[in-house]
Amino acid sequence: MNLLLVEDDALLASTLRDALTDSGHQVQYLGDGDAAYAALQNGHHFQLILLDLNLPGRTGLEVLEALRQHDRDTPVVILTARGAIEDRVKGLDLGADDYLAKPFSLEELEARIRALLRRSGATTQLSIGCLSFDSLAQRFTLNAETLALPPREQRLLAYLMRHAGQPVDKATLVEQAFGDDDAVGDNAIEVYIHRLRKRLAGHDISLRTVRGLGYVLETS
Amino acid sequence: MIGSDSLNRRLLTWLLLPMAVVGALVLWQAWLDAHRTADRAFDRLLEASTLAIAEQTQWQENRLWLDLPPAALEMLATQHDERVFYSLVDAQGKVVTGNADLPGISRTTGTIDAPLTFRNIEWNGMPLRLGVRKARLENWSVREAYEVRVAHTREGRDALTWKLFRQSLAYLLALAALSIVALLVAIRLALAPLTRLRRHIRARDPRTLTPLELSLPRELAELRDTLNELLARMRRVKANQERFIGDASHQLRTPMAGLSARAELALRQNNPEAWREALLAMQDTSQKASRLAVQLLSLTRLGNPEYQPELVPTDLTNVAREAVKEHWPSCQRQGVDLGLEAPDIPVKVDAQDWQLAEVLANLIDNACRYGAHQVTVGVDANPPALWVKDDGPGIPAEQRLLMLRPFHRGSVLAEGFNRKTAEGSCPKTAEGSCPKTAEGSSLPSVEGSGLGLAIVDGIARSLGAQLVLEDASDAQPPGLSVELHFSPSTGSGRTS
Repeated sequence: MNLLLVEDDALLASTLRDALTDSGHQVQYLGDGDAAYAALQNGHHFQLILLDLNLPGRTGLEVLEALRQHDRDTPVVILTARGAIEDRVKGLDLGADDYLAKPFSLEELEARIRALLRRSGATTQLSIGCLSFDSLAQRFTLNAETLALPPREQRLLAYLMRHAGQPVDKATLVEQAFGDDDAVGDNAIEVYIHRLRKRLAGHDISLRTVRGLGYVLETS
Repeated sequence: MIGSDSLNRRLLTWLLLPMAVVGALVLWQAWLDAHRTADRAFDRLLEASTLAIAEQTQWQENRLWLDLPPAALEMLATQHDERVFYSLVDAQGKVVTGNADLPGISRTTGTIDAPLTFRNIEWNGMPLRLGVRKARLENWSVREAYEVRVAHTREGRDALTWKLFRQSLAYLLALAALSIVALLVAIRLALAPLTRLRRHIRARDPRTLTPLELSLPRELAELRDTLNELLARMRRVKANQERFIGDASHQLRTPMAGLSARAELALRQNNPEAWREALLAMQDTSQKASRLAVQLLSLTRLGNPEYQPELVPTDLTNVAREAVKEHWPSCQRQGVDLGLEAPDIPVKVDAQDWQLAEVLANLIDNACRYGAHQVTVGVDANPPALWVKDDGPGIPAEQRLLMLRPFHRGSVLAEGFNRKTAEGSCPKTAEGSCPKTAEGSSLPSVEGSGLGLAIVDGIARSLGAQLVLEDASDAQPPGLSVELHFSPSTGSGRTS
């Protein structure tokens, strides 16, 4: 995966570059807002952008705004020392896809990057534990065996896989499985979750209940 | 002194304006007096003149005869070159003799008892003062009635009027000048304490907040006392801020010192296992330090009186759901079961969603740090409330207020129930503040930064919500329940 890292702190930048390179990404690193602006002005080939907000030259928000003028798809993760949630809202409003307040753990950053790439469709092959999903062929494989699913279960599992590791609330799952059919209650979803659990039972992944909220797909 | 609105100018205006009106009235009166006095003086001459003429009037050859005494007219011609006219008119109104045909005065009230009347008349384009004397010959054979009419132009009278008026004017002007001087002096003296107060304040060191001490008249003493109250409030705020900055710098310096010492120690060793341990410790410390920095920033922002976010109708259910989603993974890593208890319907209150998110982040984080295994974020619909309950050790009732103070860490809880901290026994002062000692701040570092609940408290205040801390259950340990009670949204939003 081709990533652009825009960060002016040398220690953090080199650490992130090394860590991301280790996990198999190609990382291009830029140290100021003007260079980032120039690199993103015309067509670029990055699949994800990590953007600091406090930059020399143009600020991260300006770079993001300029990028979103012509590119609405490339996922952008904002990294910033401005810890307040208020700024997060501003960044997300401008079109950022995720937000990490410094300090963050490398593990967390990598997880967010994986999730964003999954969601953006940059990868057609998703996998968690022994379960994988080919989004082009719309086909699940569990332990290298094809897992044939009825359409609703298929849609549910695909959605949960794209958000693996993150809790998903029931309302969202109902919407995924049944569309906007209001007549379907939360209980209906439990039936489908129950069926999916049975299919996944005995493998290294599980559908856990998040008390009062919904479910999360994770490796057990 | 010259400004669009100055006390000096106001006082002067409102004192001088009535004075000017009074002065004008007095001048008018003086002019009338001068006029009357001059007329009276000259009317005497006119009287004398008519009398002189009347005395020289005789009956000769069956008709009135006047042998005009020159003095009778001369007395009327002063140095002002007045023109004098006279005529003698018989009972039939026919002019017997004279140098002008002067009009008579038709009497409505006068009788023989008042033989002399005066009148200002306009004759041949000249303003004249006319005196008419009715007389009768006192001869034994003839008792013929006649009139003596004498008039003269007004130059002498006007000159005398002016002379008298000028004297009054000079007198009045001198009086006005004296009054204005007295007024200026009085105003300056009255305003002198104000000037003194101003100089006193200007001369002060801008950093000092000590009370103003100078004796002032009663009205200004009230102002001074008000200023002193303000200064006292500022001193309290400043003391609070200084304490906060001191604590903050101490709190940030401590982990820095730890980091530096740990790195130094690791560099002395040659054992990769020791390096690994050191790095782990340093990672942990640096994370804590940066979390502390973030919290300090929030708290400082909350403490800024200029910062008044606009409150909008916000759905508590949504805020709670998002918070659980966001914090579930990290709680999971720490082995804490984070859950949600919220109704399916939106519960609207006037708030800022990011502030509520910050409240929940701090409460969830606190619960995880202080040994809870199960944490529940909840929403009540009626009355609207947002709460976080845990099954941790809880906070003893007498400690709960103290917990809301910045840097007051629940070390009691983290280290078990058997230890009392220096802060725990701190006597409460009037403002509920507790002077913090160096020993107080340098308690052995536990997990928390001591800011979480202070931030929650600050946000609750800014949202106008009621913050309630209580035991989550009757079990042992009791756990902690932190609740924010709101008033239902008005739907239009409001400013806190």
